[in-house]
Amino acid sequence: MSTVPGQLIWEIVKKNNSFLVKEFGNGTASVKFSKEPNNLYNIHSFKHSGLANKKTVTIQPGKDQTVVLATTKTKKQNKPSTLLNKSVMKKEFHRMAKAVSNQVCDNYYRPDLKKAALARLSVVHRSLKVAKSGAKKRNRQSS
Amino acid sequence: MSAAAARPLVTVQSLESDMATDGAAANSVPLPDVMRAAIRPDIVTFVHGQISKNARQPYAVSNRAGHQTSAESWGTGRAVSRIPRVAGGGTHRAGQGAFGNMCRGGRMFAPTKIWRRWHRQVNVTQKRHAVVSAIAASAVPSLVLARGHKIEEVPELPLVVSDAAEAVEKTSAALKVLKQIGAHPDAEKAKDSQAIRAGKGKARNRRYVSRKGPLVVYGNEGAKLVKAFRNIPGVEIAHVSRLNLLKLAPGGHLGRFVIWTKYAFEKLDSIYGTFDKVSEKKNGYVLPRAKMINADLARIINSDEVQSVVKPIKKEVKKAPLKKNPLKNLNVMLKLNPYAKAAKRMALLAEAQRVKAKQDKLDKKRKPITKIITYFCCLSMHLRFWVYLYFIGSLLLVSQSRASLMQPGWKLPCPVYLSHSVICLLQEEASAINSASKSWYKTMISDSDYTEFENFTKWLGASQ
Repeated sequence: MSTVPGQLIWEIVKKNNSFLVKEFGNGTASVKFSKEPNNLYNIHSFKHSGLANKKTVTIQPGKDQTVVLATTKTKKQNKPSTLLNKSVMKKEFHRMAKAVSNQVCDNYYRPDLKKAALARLSVVHRSLKVAKSGAKKRNRQSS
Repeated sequence: MSAAAARPLVTVQSLESDMATDGAAANSVPLPDVMRAAIRPDIVTFVHGQISKNARQPYAVSNRAGHQTSAESWGTGRAVSRIPRVAGGGTHRAGQGAFGNMCRGGRMFAPTKIWRRWHRQVNVTQKRHAVVSAIAASAVPSLVLARGHKIEEVPELPLVVSDAAEAVEKTSAALKVLKQIGAHPDAEKAKDSQAIRAGKGKARNRRYVSRKGPLVVYGNEGAKLVKAFRNIPGVEIAHVSRLNLLKLAPGGHLGRFVIWTKYAFEKLDSIYGTFDKVSEKKNGYVLPRAKMINADLARIINSDEVQSVVKPIKKEVKKAPLKKNPLKNLNVMLKLNPYAKAAKRMALLAEAQRVKAKQDKLDKKRKPITKIITYFCCLSMHLRFWVYLYFIGSLLLVSQSRASLMQPGWKLPCPVYLSHSVICLLQEEASAINSASKSWYKTMISDSDYTEFENFTKWLGASQ
């Protein structure tokens, strides 16, 4: 597959794509977000883009408080169904964090995304926690 | 991409109705060169914009609108404005303004004409380039995803289906085919998105809008697949030899999700040619070349050929130090001119010396006259008075004429006879005082000398 290089894809995609969300600010000065699944910060930029990079990392919530960590395989760029190496994680947080950092930076996959991956992991994990126990609402007003 | 390189293979997706084939090798087609052509969104946007004007129907206002009156201006003098007014009487219309764009019932400004240039010409090569780019873009999953198609379950892009698909007759079977090849989510997305259009278009026979689904491309004329697939919402069909840019890049955006049949896929090579071979169907047409054969910048920059010649990264960025003025800052001056230290030292010493010398000179001139005071103290009160008087008198005399100074025998009428030596002494002292006072006066040059009390005390020799 003649890989259309990431830079070229980015040039085409950066102005307009279906995942682009422009919010806040006035006129041209709006913050650009991106809704792709493969984007760790959801920021519209080349480094974080899930479309323009060959190697991407994604962390999504799965069913029943599981977190799905997935990385794209570099050799299967044109086979979307088998593109992702998915792994469903249901461990405690520290174990998951170790697994994520192993996968992302320790095998030199995308070491520049390490912080982003861990950040996203903790946010996703926290969102699952709330859903689980139905939001512990401690009434702080009544003593 | 080297021209002669091995072309990657694309596997053909088999459907249920397929006969079992021998092996995977039989089920793959080499990638046609069209899919590797340069992707040029700028050309596509331009051509798309031009081409989409070609299906327009002219609209215009009626020729005679607003002029079907014989109105004439009443001219001046009638206390009405001068626009042409409808002639006659007996009806509301009489006397109303006519003809102007500001008048009710008048013709509009610049009535639209049918001979407006509705259609646009585009060069054939440009049109072909755009189509070629669009086909190439349809093979890149990122671009297809970016355009918004749901292709997560598609096994491979470009998606090639075995020829059995062309024989599909019933729409229900067609849907099954879509499901098998993972194209169903996209078609579903299109179906779910059907909505009434926002705006006036809904009243102008454009009531519904929906998203675009997959484009099915077939190779054989009169294939049954056309009838089977055409009723599925979102799905469009096209024959390979008649690929339409408006379908391949809807809205001018690259990356439509395309489903090829095997037959169509194989025909692409002959229709568009390869990078070396001229196209068979299009007279003398060769695929456009990209400006950069290898557009992977990251790879180029990190390659051995480049890195071996490149200078190492500058970790330490040298910042220029703040410029300091050597005339004010001694150390900076010394850096520039080391002799400056010695020169300055010598200048300081010379200055100190000069000051001292001047002060000495002044002091000498302002010398306090001690003799008369000590002698004065020895005398008795009585005597002191007379000496004092004599002293003042002689001072006055001296100030007037020096000649009379030299008269030792000059006597004052005083009861006490001052001795000769005392008188001489007194007269010497007087002249000394005179000269001293003159020279002292000469040293008081500026105003500041007068404010300095010290100068006076020195002269008088007074001390508290």
